Amino acid sequence: MIKEYYHATVIDTTLNVVNSRIESVRSKNITKTSLRVYKDQRIGVAGAIGSYKEDELLKEAMEALDRGIDYPVAPSSQLTMTQDLRKPLIAPQDLVTEFGQLLESLRELQPNYIFSNKMSLSERSNILYNDAGLKLEYADRTISAGLIFKEKSSTSVFDGAVGFRERKYDRKLILDEFNLILNAYSEKVSLPPNGRYPVVFLTEDAPVGKFITGLKADVLAKGGSLFSEKIGQRLFNEAFTFGQCLDPQEVYLSPFFDAEGVVNNGYTYNLIEDGVIKAPYCDKKTAHKFGFAPSGSAAAAYDGVPQTALLHPTIKKCGKSLKELLGGQTGIFVMMAAGGDFTPQGEYATPVQVALLTDGERLLGRLPEFNLSSHVYDMFGQGFRGVTDRTFLPFSGDSMAVLEMNIAAP
Amino acid sequence: MYTFQKGFYTDVRIEEFYETTITYTLGQLDESKIRKYKAAFIRVFDGSLWYYAATSDVDQVQNELDKLYGSARPNPDIDNHPVVRAFEVHQDNKLCYVESGVDRVPKAEKEKLLQSFFPILNAQPALKMWKAIYIDAKKIMTLYTSKGTQLTYDTQRAGYALRMNFSEGEKKLSESYQQATDTFEGLRKDTEPLQEHIQKCIDFMTHAVPVKPGKYTVILSPLAAGIFAHESFGHKSESDFMVGDETMIKEWAIGKKVGSDILSIVDCGTIPGSGYVPYDDEGTKARENYLIKDGILTGRLHSTSTAALLQEGLTGNARAINFEFEPIVRMTTTYIKPGSQTKEELIEGVEQGFLIETVNHGSGLSTFTMAPSLAYRIENGKVVEPVNISVISGTVFETLSLIDGLSNELKLLSFVTGGCGKMEQYPLPVGFGGPYVRVRSMMVQ
Repeated sequence: MIKEYYHATVIDTTLNVVNSRIESVRSKNITKTSLRVYKDQRIGVAGAIGSYKEDELLKEAMEALDRGIDYPVAPSSQLTMTQDLRKPLIAPQDLVTEFGQLLESLRELQPNYIFSNKMSLSERSNILYNDAGLKLEYADRTISAGLIFKEKSSTSVFDGAVGFRERKYDRKLILDEFNLILNAYSEKVSLPPNGRYPVVFLTEDAPVGKFITGLKADVLAKGGSLFSEKIGQRLFNEAFTFGQCLDPQEVYLSPFFDAEGVVNNGYTYNLIEDGVIKAPYCDKKTAHKFGFAPSGSAAAAYDGVPQTALLHPTIKKCGKSLKELLGGQTGIFVMMAAGGDFTPQGEYATPVQVALLTDGERLLGRLPEFNLSSHVYDMFGQGFRGVTDRTFLPFSGDSMAVLEMNIAAP
Repeated sequence: MYTFQKGFYTDVRIEEFYETTITYTLGQLDESKIRKYKAAFIRVFDGSLWYYAATSDVDQVQNELDKLYGSARPNPDIDNHPVVRAFEVHQDNKLCYVESGVDRVPKAEKEKLLQSFFPILNAQPALKMWKAIYIDAKKIMTLYTSKGTQLTYDTQRAGYALRMNFSEGEKKLSESYQQATDTFEGLRKDTEPLQEHIQKCIDFMTHAVPVKPGKYTVILSPLAAGIFAHESFGHKSESDFMVGDETMIKEWAIGKKVGSDILSIVDCGTIPGSGYVPYDDEGTKARENYLIKDGILTGRLHSTSTAALLQEGLTGNARAINFEFEPIVRMTTTYIKPGSQTKEELIEGVEQGFLIETVNHGSGLSTFTMAPSLAYRIENGKVVEPVNISVISGTVFETLSLIDGLSNELKLLSFVTGGCGKMEQYPLPVGFGGPYVRVRSMMVQ
């Protein structure tokens, strides 16, 4: 029998902002523990929030073995790795003062807007170890804001959002970034005629939902996916590489290993490589069942059995700037496109609530609402231009994806 | 119970949670667990800032409280603060799910219920992949406040969801079938509705055609109407977006005409099911709140804080997803009141349009959206063929004014998967529903 522990600790100080002022301070320090036992190709799991009694948790996990949940693979073993990315940031007790000053500056610089929602100092620590020689440790700390904004004259519930999550803090650069976006938002520009244009997304917001549903191993293996029986086929642009990335330099507050302790080479696993579907994503048990390689894509509740989940999907960067990818055209930077989806056959459509026009170096103004459409084989095929290394935003380190898509006035 | 310091408003919310989750994939057991915990969320208000702490150790509540008091500044006049004055005070013990508690049902019975669907799921060659999920959850809440509230009440839901992936050659469809209510005994356990739904899905997958984008008349099923009520208007009725915002206060003046004359939308926390909360997480008693009555803006949803700041009455809508979060303004069970026509009469009145039966998800901003799954084209008053639609959308006020027909049946729905999301707090159990609703024009893509 192998015993395995997973401790996940969340330490957060979160400020709630109402009407551009701090309304509340929330402190959280919660550790969740998972104890897994592996025996006779079965798994038993018990979980605890906060403190627990070792013998009781073990008894519970042992009893869970009798539930008959198969686990016909060996737990991860013989690997020790540590990544501690915590750097000194603002002390929790200074957060109200610092963010209070940031908001005061924002009120002065952008007097036509109301801001609300959360600003946080967040710390995570994840430790996974077992008696088969596995010990993986991760710790991280970030500072973040996710502020929704609204013009004072607007009758909408809110008009858009500005924010950041970084391992650094620079009030001036944050204000520069917010000003860049809000000044552009204040400047209305006309929608170009209906047609095909380069559309820009922050890479984390790119519409990759079809890959998440369609490249799930069990669905793909059983023929339920648009991509079933297409492994090895070039269906997308040669420059398009898509997969999972847990590289600590790229991903915040999320460990470099999955819930089963799988660590991928370079922390990445490509599902689509140079336009060719290479593999689905799966946990170890699903991989075993359908004859795939595990992709390190297991997630688990603190008291749950690991299950398949794509962790931090990403598109490979191409080394070009946004200006280069736009190739002299103006691009449509989508800031908010809520509610759209793919049909089962891969057609995609969504209304775009907030978009800014950009020449690749500047934001030129706000477009009226419009509808966006394409097809998964087009937007990531002929229409795929690439992903920048970073943005032109002063503070945030995100990258941007450029896809040619069809826009139409509503 | 606890020592509440003078000069502050304080409340302590203790959550005792029980949940069963059972999951099978293609008949193989993937998950079978019972989650139990007891934890607390604590709030201290000094008239200037709120201070919150979450703890999983209920024996440490007093220590956590004392830490929060140390961060706040005592306010001798706190009892006269408008928000503190507005808090309701109740002493009540309202445990409705003692005898019918899901914690009293053996897990084997829950597994057996899911297993009863396996033969049907396995019988269809076109059904390539399926997952069967059973979830129940019971929560006993205890609330103490420095104003004297002492409440204990319970909420409960139970249900199952069958997620299915169909395929026939290049044709694909992902659909689900879900039943949920407030007790295990009350769950529908017969298999005929599932069989019918599977046949409907296969027919849809085989015959669905692409939609020609444009503006059309749309008829929403009770499920779609409920999502519409929730997304299009419910979120706009959450008054935390209005606090300190003069434009919104004027724009959303009570008494304003906001929809067609036949439209009434209600939010109510007393309806058993996934939106049931007899008291909210601040101890305000649930009640029926009309948001729109006969097309007129009649009310909105409040926490104690927003009600006091906007000088309106309490509604019982301060809710948190669990002990780790503070209560914010949320919906409970939101629905459109039924009308007088039959579903068939609504369809007969459509020259070119669509019937939306099931929906994958929705969103609600200035433009609200729904992503349909099963949808059908209507031509000259008849349903003629299934269609693949990515999204239907509209602007809220325009769409509410374009409702010209409501069927005479009200269907209220509960859920055990998914839930409502608002900023960081997801998923919150809610209920919604309505009759069949006809909208004269919506964007269909």
